[in-house]
Amino acid sequence: MMPRLPRFTCRLALAAVAGLAHAPTAAAAGSVAKPSPFPHDIPKMALVTDTSGIDHRYTGPWEYFVGGGVATFDCNGDRRPDLVIAGGASDAQLYVNRSQAGGAIRFDVAPTALPAAVRKRVLGAYPIDIDNDGRKDLVLLRVGGNAILKGGPDCSFTRAARRFAIAPGRAWTTSFAATFEAGASTPTLAFGNYVDRAAPGSPWGTCHDNVVFRGSADRTPPNYAEAAQAITGHCTLSLLFTDWDRSGTPALRVTNDRQYYRGGEEQLWRLAPGRPARPFRRADGWRSLKIWGMGIAEADLDADGFPEYALTSMGDTKLQVLDREADDLRPVYRDAAFAKGATAHRPYTGGDLKPSTGWHAAFADFNNDARTDLLITKGNVEQMPEFAATDPDNLLLGTHDGRFHEAGADAGIALPTRGRGAAVADLNMDGRLDLVIVNRDAQVAVFQNRGARTQDTARQREMGNWLQLELSQADINRDAVGATILIKTGNLTQSRRVFVGGGHASGALGFVHVGLGVAERAVVRVRWPDGDWSPDYRVFANNFVILPRGAAKARYWFPPAASQSE
Amino acid sequence: MNSSNWRQHMMLGLLAAGLTLAGLALSDGPRASGEGATQQAAEDTPWAERAVRRDPALATVRGALSAGDLKRLVAYGEMLFAAKFTTADGAGRPNATQAIIPTKRRRPSQQMFARLSGGDAASCAACHNDPVMGGAGDFSANAFVSEGFAQADFDTTDPQFSNERNSNHLFGAGLVELLAREMTADLQALRTRALREARTSSQPVTVKLETKGVAFGELVAKPDGVVDLDRIDGVDEDLVIRPFSQKGVIVSLRQFTINALNHHHGMQAEERFGARWTGEADFDGDGRTREVTTGDVTALVAWQATLAVPPTLKPTDARWRTAAASGSKTFDAIGCADCHRRALPLRSTVFRDPGPYDSAGTLRDGESPDGVAFDLAQLPSVNALPRNADGHILVPLFSDLKRHQMVDRTVDRLGNELIAQRFVAPSVFQTSELWGIASTAPFGHRGDITTLDEVIRAHGGAARTSRDRYIGLGDADRSSVIAFLKTLVLPK
Repeated sequence: MMPRLPRFTCRLALAAVAGLAHAPTAAAAGSVAKPSPFPHDIPKMALVTDTSGIDHRYTGPWEYFVGGGVATFDCNGDRRPDLVIAGGASDAQLYVNRSQAGGAIRFDVAPTALPAAVRKRVLGAYPIDIDNDGRKDLVLLRVGGNAILKGGPDCSFTRAARRFAIAPGRAWTTSFAATFEAGASTPTLAFGNYVDRAAPGSPWGTCHDNVVFRGSADRTPPNYAEAAQAITGHCTLSLLFTDWDRSGTPALRVTNDRQYYRGGEEQLWRLAPGRPARPFRRADGWRSLKIWGMGIAEADLDADGFPEYALTSMGDTKLQVLDREADDLRPVYRDAAFAKGATAHRPYTGGDLKPSTGWHAAFADFNNDARTDLLITKGNVEQMPEFAATDPDNLLLGTHDGRFHEAGADAGIALPTRGRGAAVADLNMDGRLDLVIVNRDAQVAVFQNRGARTQDTARQREMGNWLQLELSQADINRDAVGATILIKTGNLTQSRRVFVGGGHASGALGFVHVGLGVAERAVVRVRWPDGDWSPDYRVFANNFVILPRGAAKARYWFPPAASQSE
Repeated sequence: MNSSNWRQHMMLGLLAAGLTLAGLALSDGPRASGEGATQQAAEDTPWAERAVRRDPALATVRGALSAGDLKRLVAYGEMLFAAKFTTADGAGRPNATQAIIPTKRRRPSQQMFARLSGGDAASCAACHNDPVMGGAGDFSANAFVSEGFAQADFDTTDPQFSNERNSNHLFGAGLVELLAREMTADLQALRTRALREARTSSQPVTVKLETKGVAFGELVAKPDGVVDLDRIDGVDEDLVIRPFSQKGVIVSLRQFTINALNHHHGMQAEERFGARWTGEADFDGDGRTREVTTGDVTALVAWQATLAVPPTLKPTDARWRTAAASGSKTFDAIGCADCHRRALPLRSTVFRDPGPYDSAGTLRDGESPDGVAFDLAQLPSVNALPRNADGHILVPLFSDLKRHQMVDRTVDRLGNELIAQRFVAPSVFQTSELWGIASTAPFGHRGDITTLDEVIRAHGGAARTSRDRYIGLGDADRSSVIAFLKTLVLPK
C-alpha cells in the first residue's frame, strides 16, 4: 500500500488548469516561498493541535521544570499509537488514537483511564510489558512515588507496584529505561532520580541515588522484592540501555545534570548477568564528561554495530562516536557534533543568541530519504537569564554527506514554546513520522507530517519510500526489546533498535520506522534480543510489516482507512 | 469512443482524477557543470556533437494533450529513443553503477562502454530495432542484468554475475501498462474489501484474487488488519502487477526508461539521480547536469506508449491462411491460451503519466507539475480493436501478465539463470506477450532459441502440460500452431 497525498477536487483541478494556462493568481504568486538551498526534502510539519483532540499542558512549580514526557504505545490492540502525556501539577492523560490511515490526526481523551490517585505529579511515562501478557504496562515517573500500571484490555490500567513488588520510592524520578537481560524472564527496570529535596543543602550537591530492579529468570509473575540495586546518581535526567560494544550485553548509559551534582559526570554502567551493576571508570577507558545532560538518543548511523549517542545539554549538544583507534574495544568517545553540524548550541532563528537548552532527543527519518535525522526539543528551564528565552525545537535533517542541516523553521516546528518530552510516531499511519512535543506551561504541540514542502506553500509532495516494522516474540519479552533490525537497500544498510528508555521522560514501543529513499523494496534481518538472527525477510516498500519471531515470511498489516472506519 | 470526442473524454477524466497540470521541463537550461559559456555556446551549434536537442515549444505541453501536442511530444520522444547519446549529452557514468538505486562506484570507470556491465549502447534503438525502431533485438543486443550494487563490474557472461536478457519489443506497451494498472487496482480493491469485511465481522475473510479473468491465488484478511499472503500466485506481495521486462518486475514505462537510460547509456534522469535524492547535481561525475529532465522521460514514455498495436498478418498464401486458422484453434485447445490469454479487457484508454503505482525515484502523481494525459484510443490501431459487451477494449496481447514457474525437473532449458531478480526466483518469468512474436526471433528470455517450435518445447513447469500436448500433436497440427504464431507480427 502506498498512501498518497490527497488529490485535488475537481474544482481545485479546474482552478489549477485556469491558473497555469494563463497567469498565476495573486494568491499563488504571493505564496511562493523562498527556495531552500537544502537539496533534500523538508517535511511540512503542520501544527494540528486544535483539531487533534489533544488539549494538554504540562504545568507545576520547580519540580516540574524538568520532565514533561509522553509515552507512545498501543494500549487497545489496534496497532495505532496511543499517547499518555505527563501533566506535572495537572493530570496526566491518556489519549486514544482514532486516526484513519492517511486522514487527520484525531485522538479521544480517556479521562479516567489512568487511576486517579497517580494522575498528578507525573513527569514522564514509558511503556514496557513487565508481566509478558502481551499488553503493554506503563511506568509513570512521579515526584514522590512512581506508579507501575498494569495494562488491561481496551486501554485500562490498574496499579501494580505492589503486585510486582516494585517499591515506588519517594524520590523525584526523572528518567527510566528497561531491558531484558540474558536469560531473564522479566525486564530489568532502571529508575533515574534527580535532586534529593530532603537532604541538607538541597538542591546543590544532593543528587538522589538511582535504582535498578534486575529482572530474573523466574517465570512466575514478576516479583522485584529482592531485585533492587542502588547505583550512584548524579541528578539523572535520562537513562538508556545500550549495547555499546556489540557484545549483546546491555550497559546502562546515564546522562546527568551538572547544575546540581558535585563530583558527578556522565556514566556508563556494566550490567553483567547475576552481578551488581558496576560503572565504567577511567581505567576502563571511560572519560569524564560533565554536561547539563537532559536527554539521550541512540542511533547506529553507519550500521557498524557501534551506536552513536546524542546528548542534549545547555549549549552544545554532543554527538558521541566510539573511538575505535584504540587496540582494545573501550568506551572511548569523541564528539562529532561540530563536524556533523549537530551542535544545535543556540537558537537558529529569532534574535536570541544566548545558548540553547536542549531536552528530548530522537533520531528518526522525518523525510523518508534513508538518512537519519535528529530532533531536539528546546526550551528555557523557566527563566534562566543566561540561556535563550525563545529557543525553538530543532529538526536536523541528515544530508548526503553525513552531516545535519537545520530545518526546524522551514519544517514549521520553530515555535516560541518551552519544549520538553516528545513523541515521534506515524500517528495517522501514512508512512510519515508525525510529532508531538510536550511544552512546559503551554499547550502540547501536535504536528502532522504532510509530506515534502514545495515552492507553493499550499502544496506538499510525497517524500521517499518507507517501511514500518513490528517485531514480536512468544512468551517472554514479547515486544523484542533489545532487538536490532538491519534494513538493506542496495549497498546501504540501516540499523534500528527496539528500546525502552532515553529521550527526556518519554518512551515508545510500537512500529519501528525507517525511510528507504528511492528503494522500492528492502531485505530486513533481525537480531533478536538473545542474539539469534532471523532469516532475511524480503519486503516491499511503503508497508507496515509484521515480523513474529520464527516466521518464515513477513506479514503485512493494513491500518483502517477512512472508508473502513468502525 | 471515436477519435473526435476523445479530448473531451480525456479532459473529463482528468478533472475527475484531479490531475495537476503544468508544462514539461524541456527547456535546455544549464547543462554543463564547470564549463564555460563558450563551450556551452559551441554545443548549441547545429553541428555540435550532441544528440539531445530540446524543443522549447514543448514547454507549453501539459496536462490533457491535444492531438497536436501529443504528436509533437511523441516526435521528441522518438528523437530521444533514436538519439546516440554523447558525452556532451551526459552519456557515461564514470562514478555511478548501473543500479536502479543511485550507487557510487568504488573507483571511477575508465571506459564509456563495457559490453557486459554497461553502459552497453549509445541509444535505445541500438537494441530495440528489429524489425523497426521500438522492436526487439537480436542475440547480439542482449543485456546483462545485474543489481549493480556489490559486484557492479563483471567481465564474464557466467550467470552467477548477471542474467542475460534479450531485448523485448515495445509495441502496444501503453495498453499493457494500462492493463496492469487496472489489474493492480482490482487486486488491491479486493484486499481492501476483504479487510473491511474482516474488521466488520471479526472473522478472517478469504478472497480469491482475480482480475480480468486471471487468477492470482487468494489471500486471507484477518480481523486485526494483518493479511496472509501465503497463497498468492504470480504477483508480488504488494499486489502490484509489474508488466515490463522478461521477468515482469518493472511497474511502468517511466520506471523502465529511467532504469535503462542509466544502465545502458549513463544518462541519469534528474527525478532519481538528481540532488533531491543524491545531494549531487552530477551524481555520475561526468561533468554534466540535467542529463535527462522529467520532460525528457515523459516524451520517451509517450513515444513508447503510443507505439501501435501489433497487427495480425493476413497471409496471401491460402495454405498458410488455412493452417493458421486451424492452428489458432489448436493453440486454444492444447491450453496455450490458459496463460497466453488472447485478449484482456481494458476499461479506460486514457494514459496518464506519471502513473499511479510508481514510487519515490520515479515521478509520482502530484509530485511535479509535469503530468500529461492522452487517450490511446486516438491511435487507429487501438481504435480498431474489438470491444466486449461492457464496451471495454479487448487488448490482444496474448498474455495474462502473470508470473509462472517455467522449469521442471526434465524440461529446464529456460532455467538458465542463477540470480533472483527483485525477489522473483530465477526460473520464474512473466508470460511473454505473443503479439509481434513472429517478428522478434530469436526467442526466449535469453534470445537463444531460433524457432518457435523449439521455444514451445522449452516450456516446462506451469506450461508443461500444454507443451506436452503440443509435442503430442501430429506434425500437421504442430505446424498449424506455428502457422498461427507466424501471423502475429509487428508493424513495419
